[in-house]
Amino acid sequence: MSAPEPQAVPTEAPPSSSSAAGQRLPTEVVPGPGRRRGGCLLWVLGLLAVMVGLAFIPGGEKASFHVDEEFVLEPLLELPPLGPIDLSINKAVIYLWISVAIIVVLAIVISRTIKAMPGRFQVVVESLYDLARDGITGSVMHVGAARWFPFIGALFFFILINNLVGLIPLPFGHHHELSFYVATANINVTIGLAACTFVFTHYAGIRARGGLAYVKSWAPADAPPVLKQLIWGIHGISEVFRLVSLSVRLFANMLAGHAILGVFFAMALVFQNYLAAAMLQAGSVAIYLFEIFIAFIQAFIFAILSAVYIGGALEEGH
Amino acid sequence: MDAEAAKVIGAGIAMGVGAIGPGIGLGMLISKALESIARQPEVTNDIRTNMFIGIGVTEAVALYAFVIALILVFVA
Repeated sequence: MSAPEPQAVPTEAPPSSSSAAGQRLPTEVVPGPGRRRGGCLLWVLGLLAVMVGLAFIPGGEKASFHVDEEFVLEPLLELPPLGPIDLSINKAVIYLWISVAIIVVLAIVISRTIKAMPGRFQVVVESLYDLARDGITGSVMHVGAARWFPFIGALFFFILINNLVGLIPLPFGHHHELSFYVATANINVTIGLAACTFVFTHYAGIRARGGLAYVKSWAPADAPPVLKQLIWGIHGISEVFRLVSLSVRLFANMLAGHAILGVFFAMALVFQNYLAAAMLQAGSVAIYLFEIFIAFIQAFIFAILSAVYIGGALEEGH
Repeated sequence: MDAEAAKVIGAGIAMGVGAIGPGIGLGMLISKALESIARQPEVTNDIRTNMFIGIGVTEAVALYAFVIALILVFVA
């Protein structure tokens, strides 16, 4: 009878003090939660006092903020237009240049200093490379993974570095003040990237099977004629809609994220209140961390959907 | 009601109503993925990859609503 009791006690520990084993444990079980609860209460009260104190401090100067102006592209350097194409340099172009420079420098540095015993930096780059090669290309494409990995990997790293560069405040705001912008929050950039996938999808399909056979493979070969044409038409529409969904997904995600980030960072100025400022800054830090996660996820999804589309075009009779 | 107010109300309705469906869909998707990971932990990586593909496709619907709201407020 005495053997099972000590095992049963910890589950019903705090209130029970009658059993023999309950007296063995009180020093470590009973005061613990009580002291923790008291500490918690102290923290909450202190935080409330600080907040009330903040609420009574009169606010600073009022500043107005329009989130849509953060995404207006003013030319920083005017260049003569080439026909209808405006070639002037704006901040989206500069963000693209920065991320391309980062990728080039990173690739050169990592390929020059590659070692058998990797350091911390090399481990990070290698795990990203592994993710792009095995996690994205290898897991989705059954044929031609080795051939199409360079394109998918390039898409992944380009979008990832672009998204991450967008989370660093850079001095390209209105009067060269620090501001957030990201090149992938511009629909032109994402449509360009999606168009690469679109073109390469059909290039891969035609290369693998020849033009007519590829177009025929959009509908199942054994379907009746009218149904076949219907399926073929639906497939054609879906091919075009992939272009739209791929580009709009990345664009809208980055735009929405940066709009929320801008609103949270700027609302403290608008509200003229130190309490609101403290709470909004805490919220903006949380959203900033979430945006880092989103930057990874969006690069991953763009690359993996490109791999799915190209793999689908390569495979027979999908 | 003037046109500006109608635009803003329409944008709010577009975003709010447009987020209902993808919210339900994402909840179902992730709950099923977590259930199957709990059932078969050895295929966690496959399930996670496919879950992210599904998340991307599902949340795009909410983002279309977001784009419509933006168009209503800033373009239309």
